[in-house]
Amino acid sequence: MIINPKIIYTIAKKEFMDNIRNKWIIVISLFYIVFIILSAYFTGGQAGENEIFGTIEATVGFAIFFTIILIPIISIILGYSTIVGEAETGSLSVVLAYPVKRVEVILGKFFGLGSILFVTPFIGFGISGIIIMASIGAEQALLLIIFIFLVILLGLMYLSFTILISAICKTRSRAIAGGLILFFWIFIYNILLQIAQLIVFDDLNSPNTLPDWIWASKIISPTDINIMAVENAFNMNQLAPDWMGMGFLLIIQFLWIVVPLLLAIFFFKRRDI
Amino acid sequence: MITKTIGCPKCQNHIEIQGNPCETKIITCPKCNVKGKFTFPGGQTKIKTTSGFNSIEIENLTKKYKDLIAVDNISFKVHKGEIFGFLGPNGAGKTTTIKAILGLIKRKSGVIKINGYDITKNEIQSRKEIGYLPERVSFYENLTPLQTLNFFCELKGHDKSLNKSLIKEVGLENAINRKVSTFSKGMVQLLGIAQVMIGKPSVYILDEPMAGLDARWVKIIREKIKLLNQQGATVLFSSHILSEVENICDRVAIINRGKLIAEDTVTNLSIYLKLKPQIKITVENLNGKIPAIIRDLKGIDSIEVKENILIVTCEPNVKTKIITILDKSGFNIVDFITIEPSLEEAFIKMITTDEGGA
Repeated sequence: MIINPKIIYTIAKKEFMDNIRNKWIIVISLFYIVFIILSAYFTGGQAGENEIFGTIEATVGFAIFFTIILIPIISIILGYSTIVGEAETGSLSVVLAYPVKRVEVILGKFFGLGSILFVTPFIGFGISGIIIMASIGAEQALLLIIFIFLVILLGLMYLSFTILISAICKTRSRAIAGGLILFFWIFIYNILLQIAQLIVFDDLNSPNTLPDWIWASKIISPTDINIMAVENAFNMNQLAPDWMGMGFLLIIQFLWIVVPLLLAIFFFKRRDI
Repeated sequence: MITKTIGCPKCQNHIEIQGNPCETKIITCPKCNVKGKFTFPGGQTKIKTTSGFNSIEIENLTKKYKDLIAVDNISFKVHKGEIFGFLGPNGAGKTTTIKAILGLIKRKSGVIKINGYDITKNEIQSRKEIGYLPERVSFYENLTPLQTLNFFCELKGHDKSLNKSLIKEVGLENAINRKVSTFSKGMVQLLGIAQVMIGKPSVYILDEPMAGLDARWVKIIREKIKLLNQQGATVLFSSHILSEVENICDRVAIINRGKLIAEDTVTNLSIYLKLKPQIKITVENLNGKIPAIIRDLKGIDSIEVKENILIVTCEPNVKTKIITILDKSGFNIVDFITIEPSLEEAFIKMITTDEGGA
């Protein structure tokens, strides 16, 4: 199977331009600017320190509770109708009647929508980072870049899975339902985990004494893995076992991007349009 | 030189005509003297084909959706350079067949070739030959017509510089900078026609191109289809309304409940369906009786009398004979009108019969 990169580029460009035209990119970037600056502000002067803004570490520690909610929502909104929506309007059948392979369509959509998840944190976090660092100094610029990188990974994991949902679902409304389940998966997973602990230990373990299998189970929750990676990078809450180091966490996140995408290609190839 | 047989719209007489591709001739029916224009297909674009006479070949196509057989073992061929009407009521299997031709759906069985290219073995090559417009498509709302065409042009790897003239060609030049979301249905359909014309493919597949459009737009789209054909392309288009296809198609296939029930020229189809014209003759001194003099004429199907109106269903060539005989026999003919048989009715009748028999 020969893949034509030009087709992938054409489809990716169309997806990207579409989101520039409907102003999504501006909205998301502005949202990021406001909420990072607010995070920095609340961890700075408001927390009793002298500076207006807190350190990047403190800001990230605060911001992460928002990013784990916000980023999946953005990814799901961007991607849920990308296949099923276009199948419903008929434009997908036009595209597929061209000399185009289905794998190229999926990859084009992933790269196009993915580039939005790539560009917006750089604009949003970057601008707010410059404002914050103008006040607190630029020593921690690298930390901010690491955080942006991990935010992008979180977005891509959710995007990849959302494209899978869109490639499988026969109607847009089912894709929305699928997207909702995906969004709530972190909560569902953690509730199930607590129930499992109650059954096994008759009590909830303290975070210090979690058995390995509970830590290992976190690989099925992309958000938890992403939080652990942020904690690892910023030396927060170092409770995870040693074998769950940064390398391991990055590989798991990489798999969370690649495997759903491969499944999306598999199902999309077999789909009647 | 092309030789064609056409049916006279008035007397159904078969007329053999000869002409060059794209030539328009004025033809006079030798029997009833009705004049009409006819444009020969073929011409400008050289058809890029490997071999053979058929643009589309379908053999034993079957498509199942769970328990439902949507298309049941159908075979037909669309000849190079013709306009082929694919007719059937809603849900008959037209769209399924078209989607199978394009490889958009998995088929249970069947071999499909476009210009000789097998759509499974030569997937990409076969699609390079096609321009496809799905039923009731809505393109990307945020794009202008030019951006839309540029996108599709890039997918085909063709020169984008021709897209502006394509937009002019379909008559959308005044809306060139408007977003597609502001377009009317007819305008979207015109953009669809422009889209299929990208790279001048040799085979056009249009699924219900006139559905949901008002009469003005139907006329415009029909003209565009004729134009594509005159430029040398083969056109297959589907419809559930026979009148949409009968004037422009060279041949038609009729599908119902997944089965092909007829495939023929429009003229032959009307013969096959035994369509006969009716004449309504108003005779002053008829007195409610059928004149014995015409009762025994050959080629008469039925005679009805309503006061002083005589309604005769007969072979086309008997019509004038009846008038002459009545006139000569002293009947005072005040008025007469001919009611041409409607393929529409025959089509509905055919489908109903098919359903009744099933």
